[in-house]
Amino acid sequence: MSDEAKLREESAGLMEYSVENLVPFGPIHPALKEPEYFKLILEGEKIVQVIPRIGYVHRGLEKAAESRPWVQNMYMFERTCGICSFVHSLCYGQAVEGLTIYEVPRRAKYIRLIISELERIHSHLLWVGLMGHWAGFETLFMWVWNDREVILDLVEAISGNRVHKSMNAFCGVRRDMPENMEDRIVERMKFITDRAHYYRDIIDSEETMLARTENVGNKINQETAQKLCAVGPMARYVGLRQDVRLNDPYAAYDEVPFDIVTRTEGDVRALLRLRLDELVVSANMISYAVKHLPEGPIRVKIAPIIPAGEHSSHCEAPRGEIFYYVKSTGGRTPDRVKSRQPTMANIPTALELLKGQTLADVPMVLTAIDPCFGCMDRMSFLDTESQKQWTWSGEQLRQYGIKHYFPERFDANRSKFKEAH
Amino acid sequence: MSESLLGQLQTYAAQSNSKVSMPRKGETFIEVDQDHIKDFISHLVNDFRILHLATITGLDLGENIGIIYHLSQDKDTIYVRSIVPKAKSTAVSIVEVIPGAILYEMEIHDLFGVTFTGNPWINQKLLLPDNWPADLPPPLLKTSKPAEIRKRLQLEVERK
Repeated sequence: MSDEAKLREESAGLMEYSVENLVPFGPIHPALKEPEYFKLILEGEKIVQVIPRIGYVHRGLEKAAESRPWVQNMYMFERTCGICSFVHSLCYGQAVEGLTIYEVPRRAKYIRLIISELERIHSHLLWVGLMGHWAGFETLFMWVWNDREVILDLVEAISGNRVHKSMNAFCGVRRDMPENMEDRIVERMKFITDRAHYYRDIIDSEETMLARTENVGNKINQETAQKLCAVGPMARYVGLRQDVRLNDPYAAYDEVPFDIVTRTEGDVRALLRLRLDELVVSANMISYAVKHLPEGPIRVKIAPIIPAGEHSSHCEAPRGEIFYYVKSTGGRTPDRVKSRQPTMANIPTALELLKGQTLADVPMVLTAIDPCFGCMDRMSFLDTESQKQWTWSGEQLRQYGIKHYFPERFDANRSKFKEAH
Repeated sequence: MSESLLGQLQTYAAQSNSKVSMPRKGETFIEVDQDHIKDFISHLVNDFRILHLATITGLDLGENIGIIYHLSQDKDTIYVRSIVPKAKSTAVSIVEVIPGAILYEMEIHDLFGVTFTGNPWINQKLLLPDNWPADLPPPLLKTSKPAEIRKRLQLEVERK
């Protein structure tokens, strides 16, 4: 079969095109920070069809989860993403908690909310910086990422880590809020609010940003967004009031007053405005939550065996709805864990947004959905046995740790550990 | 979702010979066989206006493969469950009803080997590597062992 015939078959008659019009975008491309491949089919300068190919960083987490204890999975799923890590463990935790009889303490719910919202602010700031970068406005990128440090410092002060907070536990959180943090957090939130207003002014007046964002992106209506199952900001920027925090409150979202932001312009600038406004909403929520933090325990200890059953949970990650489904047969490990990330749900919408756009706008539009391909893919088969590369298994690493820190406990005959290189 | 709508939904499901159960508040499990799945979901979308498909989950149930469509509206989640035998793993695609389901169906095709008739991109790989051998069982079946898959893919790389 010739290449052309094969391509025709792949497109399954969606449209007629010749091979000359096909522009490969990725998997390695300067506009993508993670490897992903988009087949762009052009007619002249305009894109008429996009076919995605994902999976370059698929890590097999769902398969791995089936052989690990329930609690270990919580910290493994946290490593799905390096930006919105907390919400993954929260959503998985909530799905598992639904199978047990225990209640989450009220103070833990508030701490969960504070961390979730801090994470949303840092994720949105990261994204605004990247949009500045792709628009050719490097100063914005540097300003915003500098402000993001403020949030990362707060996260570090609360959880001890900058990115993978490992704060969550089943039915609670692992660490309490440090004492005397209230004033500091409120002050920083005021700073973030001021900066968000300042950036709003910039994107509404700065010529570079206006030229690269105004009327960029194929405009879609609400019905299309719903049919394509868009989630999070991608649904809200066409005017849909879709937000899990509002529609199905989890953590302490039913006790903290807030209102979601929606826009109706339907271009890339609407997404920028929406996310900058969400910064203010999140900052207000955090200030309210730290002022009204209830007293009490932060955690309930639960048994390591989870009762049989199936349950699902969804949360509002910075990029949109995140969904976890767990099935237990009453053992020490789950029977099945399914995780669906917001980027996966937003890809069909992104493909629709690209239609009718020029090739030069592809980085802007693709970045506009705030893609996180590392999240979306969850499996790759690491080549551990090849002669050129070598990696240590978890057991080898553990043995190395024992040898390094507790040489008296290390037993060379018992362990499989070999000093590599 | 209002109580009356949920009641209507349960009546409708009962009429079309589907099993309905509600183990917890806000969760409705409906079992639908493959012949009626497309009609059933289009009824949910067009008449009940339950528009959001969270995802589609595949499950290894031993002899069969379970497919769960997670539809949700506000606080209610509806699990529409369907079963496909492993021997003839073909299911009906719902892309015509919900276009956003296209990638979820491709994912199940990659990881469980279920072919969805009516999905225009079903023959493309979405997640698995290009050199995935055709005779290797799909990775998320309980019989597939990660060590075997790794060994086999290593052979594929060496053959090149």
